[in-house]
Amino acid sequence: MTTPLDLLLFTAAATVAGAFALGRWRDIAWLTGAFYIAQLIQLTGLDLPSASHAGFTLFGQLVGWQMDGFGRFFAIITVGAAAAATAYMGGEWGERYRQAGHSLVWLHGALAINVLAMLLLLAGNDLIALFIGWELTSWASFLLMAQGGERALRAALRYVPYAMGAAMAVLGGIVLTHAFTGTLQFTELAQRVPQLENWQLALMVTLFGVGFSIKMGLLPFHLWQAPAYAEAAGAGTSFLGAISARMGLFALALLLVKFVSLTRLADLEFVSGLFDARDLIAWVAAFTIVLPTFTALKQNDARYLLAWHGIGQGGYMLLGIVIGDATGSAGGLLHVFNYATYQAALVLSVFAVLHRTGTADLNSLGGLVTRMPLTFLVMLMGIIGLAGLPPMNGFVSKWLVYRSLMIEGRPLLFLMTVIGTLGTILSVYKLIHNTFLGQLRLEHEGIREAPWSMTIPMLVLVGIGFVTGVAPGLPLQWVNDAQAALGLPVLPHTLGGVESSQGGLDMLWVVGVLFAGFGIGALLFYGVGNRSKRIHQLDNYAGGHFLSADVRYHYSDHFYAGLMHRIGPLYRGSFTRLEEAVASANDTLAALMQAWYRQRVPMLTLLVAATAGLGWMVLQ
Amino acid sequence: MIALTVALPLLAAFLLPLLPALARQFLGPLVLLAVAAFGLCLAGNALDAPSVVAIGDFRPPLGIVFYADGVAGLFVFAIAVVTLLLWPCATPNGQPDPQITRKHSLTLLMAAASCALALSGDLFNIYVFYELAAVAGYGLAAGSRTPAAQVATFRFTLLGSLGSLLALIGITLIYFRAGSLNLAHLAELAPSTLHDPLGLAGFLLILLGFGVKSELFLVNSWAPEVYATAESRVSALLAGLISKLALLAVVRLLVLVFPVPEASQLLLVLGMLGILTGELAAYRARDFRRLLAWSSIGQLGAAFVAFAIPGPAGLMAGIAVALHHLMVKPALFLLAERWGGNLAQLAGAARNSPIAAALFVLFALSLIGVPPLPGFWAKYLLLSGLAGEPAGLWWLAGLVVLTTTVVEAVYLFRIIGTLYGHQQGSVMQSRTATTGSGIFALLLVGTALSAPLLAAPLQKMATQLADTDGYVAQVISATITAPQRSGTAP
Amino acid sequence: MSFAGILIELTLMPLVAFTIGLFMVLMMRKIAAKIQRRVGPPLLQPLYDIIKLYSKQTQTSHGLLHDIGIVMAVGGYIAAETMVPVPGMHGIADKAGLLTLAYVTMIPSLGLALGVGQCANPNGSIGISRALTAMLAYDVPFVIIIFGTAWFYGSNNLVEVVAAQQAGGIATWGVMQMPILAIAGLFSLYAMLGKQPFEIYVAPAEIATGPMVEMGGKFLGGLFVMQCFQLFTASAIYVSLFLGGGENWPFFIAKLFFIIAIPMSLAFLFPRYRTEDVLAAVWRWPVILGLAGVWLVMH
Repeated sequence: MTTPLDLLLFTAAATVAGAFALGRWRDIAWLTGAFYIAQLIQLTGLDLPSASHAGFTLFGQLVGWQMDGFGRFFAIITVGAAAAATAYMGGEWGERYRQAGHSLVWLHGALAINVLAMLLLLAGNDLIALFIGWELTSWASFLLMAQGGERALRAALRYVPYAMGAAMAVLGGIVLTHAFTGTLQFTELAQRVPQLENWQLALMVTLFGVGFSIKMGLLPFHLWQAPAYAEAAGAGTSFLGAISARMGLFALALLLVKFVSLTRLADLEFVSGLFDARDLIAWVAAFTIVLPTFTALKQNDARYLLAWHGIGQGGYMLLGIVIGDATGSAGGLLHVFNYATYQAALVLSVFAVLHRTGTADLNSLGGLVTRMPLTFLVMLMGIIGLAGLPPMNGFVSKWLVYRSLMIEGRPLLFLMTVIGTLGTILSVYKLIHNTFLGQLRLEHEGIREAPWSMTIPMLVLVGIGFVTGVAPGLPLQWVNDAQAALGLPVLPHTLGGVESSQGGLDMLWVVGVLFAGFGIGALLFYGVGNRSKRIHQLDNYAGGHFLSADVRYHYSDHFYAGLMHRIGPLYRGSFTRLEEAVASANDTLAALMQAWYRQRVPMLTLLVAATAGLGWMVLQ
Repeated sequence: MIALTVALPLLAAFLLPLLPALARQFLGPLVLLAVAAFGLCLAGNALDAPSVVAIGDFRPPLGIVFYADGVAGLFVFAIAVVTLLLWPCATPNGQPDPQITRKHSLTLLMAAASCALALSGDLFNIYVFYELAAVAGYGLAAGSRTPAAQVATFRFTLLGSLGSLLALIGITLIYFRAGSLNLAHLAELAPSTLHDPLGLAGFLLILLGFGVKSELFLVNSWAPEVYATAESRVSALLAGLISKLALLAVVRLLVLVFPVPEASQLLLVLGMLGILTGELAAYRARDFRRLLAWSSIGQLGAAFVAFAIPGPAGLMAGIAVALHHLMVKPALFLLAERWGGNLAQLAGAARNSPIAAALFVLFALSLIGVPPLPGFWAKYLLLSGLAGEPAGLWWLAGLVVLTTTVVEAVYLFRIIGTLYGHQQGSVMQSRTATTGSGIFALLLVGTALSAPLLAAPLQKMATQLADTDGYVAQVISATITAPQRSGTAP
Repeated sequence: MSFAGILIELTLMPLVAFTIGLFMVLMMRKIAAKIQRRVGPPLLQPLYDIIKLYSKQTQTSHGLLHDIGIVMAVGGYIAAETMVPVPGMHGIADKAGLLTLAYVTMIPSLGLALGVGQCANPNGSIGISRALTAMLAYDVPFVIIIFGTAWFYGSNNLVEVVAAQQAGGIATWGVMQMPILAIAGLFSLYAMLGKQPFEIYVAPAEIATGPMVEMGGKFLGGLFVMQCFQLFTASAIYVSLFLGGGENWPFFIAKLFFIIAIPMSLAFLFPRYRTEDVLAAVWRWPVILGLAGVWLVMH
């Protein structure tokens, strides 16, 4: 008798098998894509919680899998992101990738392994199962990062110490948890962990927290993420960017909310009554919003820019969850979904441009809006989502987080989130301006729109982003399941958002009015006054001089010169230096250790050790 | 049957040079197969009840006792299988080796001595077989005939001999204090006679002496030299097998005679330092074989740490760590047959030998403990054993294990990165090495898949190994009559 | 309120806002003229200007997005203005709230930025870079103020905020209850309107380097319309937060004009700040005042 979860895991495993067995088949993407869709259908119809028969007992530990609403919420996003990436690489992009000498088989395979590993992680019902999923996810994402050339491999290798550090911190946490509570089962942990003493709890939270934050790219463990995600193969980047790092968030939320519980977390006080562990995490999340966002602002490669924003956006999610009321946690969780939709679309649009022009360098593009209008539309809707402006879904989830910070009275955290949003607006405008607006380069004059195999997945993604922005009630249904599974208060919602006497949000009206406003604006523009004359894109002049097309006048480099004049000195690269310091300390230690093994007279050491030992024993 | 496991290979080792060429080819492997079968039987039977044999029917404390419990049986089996897989064959470049018979003899000798080491129930015997194994080891290590190998082996021999001397002094000290060398007997006498500074000094000397072979920190600086210069198969034998047996001897002593905090803490500290120095030195290694050597020092350090944990939990962790290393390290050394030398030359090797590269990835993943590979379970047992002890030195050891695993992952993945680099590779892995390590890989995967089934026997073995009273009772009841016993008991 | 009722309000509110906005432009010009000892424009001059711009012969469009930018800029403010309650009409104020309002007011900036970007004029792009930087500057104190007031009134709903202020006459006005926040808000409003010394992004003195550089004819006319709505929306937000909102139309309009008159009267006292100085100026005192105000409100 197989359960629905068994069937789901089986389908995911079959996807892996199919991707490798039939990987050379030209239309493999249709097969794996169909498998992902099948998984998605199974997921949406899953009874909650759904247990699996797979499982075993080892060294007295019961290892089993069971998916609840919380896991399912992440699983839906995972499988959806994989489906979009697969559709994208099924056509011309994949063909080009193969021609460049890379292995499409491994790309499909790595993606399928990632999905399977993540499902195992999300459905884990005890810490060992969680760790198995965790490690598989880490190394599967390593595999995906390493696809696509030498630079990708280098970036992936930089991920190794972080991934392993995370794994070991988690493993340390697991064995300590077992020593403290005598169990590794989730249900029992939820009862026993809050009863631990404060120092035990602090140790546990530190170990798990560090491990999970590394995967999530939380400050100060975020440095690996941007290059690893940005350098991967296009479709892989979109999947990694959309969901991979969120596994860290999943585990962190499980730990903080379900096991430790947020109220218990607040008992771990650093300054009595003023600053506790919960505040610390909230502040780390807030800094994770601001600092990486402003690092993104300085990037000159579109892929890096988006990857850095990915790190920053993680902060909103964690902050919402740590605030922990119905509004905030719904916002944090909903942001996972929303972010996945627009981030995947944005990454794909950047790679569509890369596909056509051969570069993602923000100083080598420009004016492509007339050449690739659909891709432009995707990026426009994507950046509106990323910046968190209406009418896209990114606004709704951020609104919920802001609102909860207002209700809970956290002005400084609120300010940080808003600064992050403002920085994002600046940064994403630079992205779209440098890519699609401004001067069209002569060599790009013959560029055509990306093929349908690429534009359709992107359009579907931003379409989802728009629909869930207008009607956030749709995904909030899943969010409510997740909240209930975590034991958080559930946010009552309507189709258009939240109803509340203290100021709710009805996106149906907001978007309606917004588009009505645009309609009036359009009427005023097109209906009134003289007809405008469209002139050619390359027909420009500035400062009284005609600009010929071969002169490069696109204003792209150092875009926010004035801002950088003020905040530039604040970029000190402290985290990079910290990373370097750790690496060189390790190097020095290693050199010392090697010196030990190069000793000339090892016998002397032996004799000295023996004598010293004897002496010590005798003197005792 | 117990005695046969030692006698058969011993006999074969001495007979081998005298036999006709055809028989020479097959005798060794046949004998080893037989020993493997015996070992499996022994382990199976011993799980229910350990068996004791007094050689020549001389009764302890005068005579020699073989004690076969689950661990001993398992090790006999492992010795036979690993030796078989590492059976010396043609030189790496495919030419017939004129020294082959001598190498076969020495290998058999080593196998015999190793089995005896695993089974022996008294200290003097352990020492003798340890020496025998050591001599065989020196002979094999010198086999590659390069000047560097000769120098390394010379230093190894000197260090090893000094170590043996120290061990002998230690044994003398113990004999001087307790008047017996039979482990069961010593176990009874120890609380009154040996748990004092002098007795512990004896333990320390034995530890240092045997530590030479088990790559214990302080006395392991020979390892990188020897492993880098000796033939890969020899390195594999030394690192994989002999080190574990020397370790087993120490563990028996620790469990039966010195179950005192000082002894286990000594083991813990030295093990910890071994992990630290080994893994960190490997981090900077530029030579594949040296890297493996240092990594092996680190792994053995982990085994020492595991065995230092009092009680069955620690023993179980120790056995798991040791067995896992036994499966992985010889396989890696086999791969080093062609891949040895500077790491840079491995660039792009995965294109030439995809299977070998994949095997390397598998072993690397298991070494750093990625579930569900066995390395993870070993590490999990080790860490949960450490976490179960009170905070302090034990948790520090846990921290050391965790952090050095990160270092380990970095250097192993650096190699993986080199292997899968985008240049055209220059070296080609040999078919024999790939097959050999492939078999180890199958064993590894088999263990991973059957882990839930293997857990119970492992647990039983550890309990058996930890059961001092059981050991004493078994040996005494099988060999000593009641009046004699009361005469020596305090 | 019935659906039809809301629709009627949504139709009326932009008309009112536009009319008031036109007169605000007129007033600003009059103030400027008075300070500079000029006569100033006649009553309908702003309207004439718009008609003139719309009916110009040369209407140069640099592409669809150039047009859409203007549409977004105008449309965004039209939408924003329906989220601020005026006497007798709430529009969708209770369905959107302060926070949403704050973010909807960013849409016109984005639209303008897109439109200017399409023009491919490097000077225009520089102007946008300055405009967005200025937005980053003035929105920081602005959201602090939003937080403070929302916390004080326990609501994100402007209708409730206004009702709470009108409950006890002038004494319960925001400016009386939270004077420090009100001052910070005035600063922020000043910067938001882009009057001297904060006019770097409009840069009227050197039109060749600013967002307007490629804007002629009805493009500029559209922006003119946008400015009318912007003046109305910005002042209406301030009045709703601190000056008791609109009890009735005459009072409300008086307050609106008063608020706009303050920055206009001060504007000519200052030379222009550079971009980085705008940041420094707005991030220093208004933010400190705002945070102090929030602290006072919360304790």
